[in-house]
Amino acid sequence: MGGTSQVAAAGSIARRASVRRRQRTSWADRNFPRLAVLPTMALMLLVFGIPLLFSAWLSTEAWSPDQSLFGGTFAGIDNYQDLVTDPDFTGTLVLTLEYTAAVVAAELAVGLGIALLLNIDLPWIGLFRTLLIVPMMITPVVAAFCWKLLLDPDHGVVNYFIGQHIVWLGRPDTALLSVAVVNIWQNAPYVAILLLAGLRSLPHEPVEAARIDGASRLQIFWHITVPLLRPYLLVALLLRMIFEFRSFDNVYVMTSGGPANATMLMSMYTYMASFVRFDLSLGAAAAWMMLLISLIMTGCFIAIVRRREAN
Amino acid sequence: MRKRSERLAVYAALILLTVLFLFPLVWIVGLSLKTRLQVFASPPLFLWRPTFENYVATLSRADFGQAFLNSLLVSAGAVSLSLIVGVPAAYSLARFRFLGRNVLFFALLSMRMLPPIAVLVPMYVLFSAFGLTTTRTSVVLAYTTFSLPLVVWIMRGFFEDLPRELEESAWVDGASRLQAFVHVVLPLIKPGLVAACILCLQLAWNDFLFAAVLTNNATRTLPVLMAAFSGGDTGVDWGGMTASGVLVILPVILFSFAAQRHLVAGLSSGAVKG
Repeated sequence: MGGTSQVAAAGSIARRASVRRRQRTSWADRNFPRLAVLPTMALMLLVFGIPLLFSAWLSTEAWSPDQSLFGGTFAGIDNYQDLVTDPDFTGTLVLTLEYTAAVVAAELAVGLGIALLLNIDLPWIGLFRTLLIVPMMITPVVAAFCWKLLLDPDHGVVNYFIGQHIVWLGRPDTALLSVAVVNIWQNAPYVAILLLAGLRSLPHEPVEAARIDGASRLQIFWHITVPLLRPYLLVALLLRMIFEFRSFDNVYVMTSGGPANATMLMSMYTYMASFVRFDLSLGAAAAWMMLLISLIMTGCFIAIVRRREAN
Repeated sequence: MRKRSERLAVYAALILLTVLFLFPLVWIVGLSLKTRLQVFASPPLFLWRPTFENYVATLSRADFGQAFLNSLLVSAGAVSLSLIVGVPAAYSLARFRFLGRNVLFFALLSMRMLPPIAVLVPMYVLFSAFGLTTTRTSVVLAYTTFSLPLVVWIMRGFFEDLPRELEESAWVDGASRLQAFVHVVLPLIKPGLVAACILCLQLAWNDFLFAAVLTNNATRTLPVLMAAFSGGDTGVDWGGMTASGVLVILPVILFSFAAQRHLVAGLSSGAVKG
């Protein structure tokens, strides 16, 4: 009897204490979570959200920079119609999708290869891990113009090594390849880091069990490592797709979209329309086409992240 | 366990890969240490007495110094603004449940994924309407919107890994939420802050697109100057170009190496932990 009342008394003291504490918490404390996200929300809305909405509006206007901000006339879907019926734009769209697919495939293949090698525990492996990620830290514009020098037809070291005189950036077929190689060179190490982190976190048991059962290295790789690594591969795939789709810097420096539009990727097209021809309405329409495609990829990416958070 | 021959094969593959991936960079550094005659020697020189004349020439250029200063100011501004605004938001998103928390997080995440050029077009029009174009402020704002989601994403992961008891005991001791955050939580997540800081720095230091559109000759950053150096024909001053290129990439590489462990943790945490 005495024990229960004691517990009850202790409980009521605790309750009273917590009531007192709740009364004591200030307005700032109660709203801390909301106050903490407020600046982020405000900034993103002002500098990101409003421009996005503005560009949606701009893309339905016939507007030129010499007019006042809201001085354009309504053009409906004319800008979009112009884009879709412009063979330059549709060509750009197809080229960008093909380029993205090819470059991302190469980055994943090379990145996975590097990650598998770096995952082997050997003396000095840390040194290789450090050295191999250097290319991804190089400023893309600098990387692009350095490669421009390496690929120079007359004095470039690449032509010296292969003993031929190839005008890499002057021919439609090799120009796109050159731009792609620079991106692969810079980003395969990034894929490698992502996949290496994945490999490090995989459980050892399935591999051990398969080895005891007499599976070969190749069998273990295809039937155990790759399926276990799938979520990481998927994340790397989507991230790289999203980022390759917008490739700009090396195209701008190396080829400016040429020769004969062979490297005219969508970012470059939008840039040319907006800031070279100064048709900002058309640029906004092109930008929104890019946004929609990016949103689809982002949607897939977020679905994966959410599913993983739910687990 | 592994056989000796196998280990040798792995080392051989690693060395080959490293040579392949680092050769372009090594060659560029080599070019920057050659005189104009040596740069165009045919066949190319593999051994020579290095000269620093290209570096001296680059460092004494007024436009290079100005661009370097601009890059420093813009990067410092973007990094500090992103961290000051983003870190509390990440903490709040990681620790507290409130209405719209998930929507906010995923909205931020998708903003990170949108192509910069798509935002740049309207940003340019609006910034010029408010007289902000050609100022460093405009670039700082643009970079901040791109690094904020990154900061929130990375830091949220670090905050979630931290045990709750620490700040809860601080609350019980009468600390306000803000005091507990500043004095108890922040000192514990220094590695996360370093990672977020480097990634924001890389973003701001390496960006070309925003700076190319939003700055003029007085406010342009290093990548814009670099693109102007190499615009059109590559010209004959390869030594000067490569030397300035090396000077541009050196700070970020050194900084990243100094904090490499944190950087790798930060790079992979976002994608791996989700």
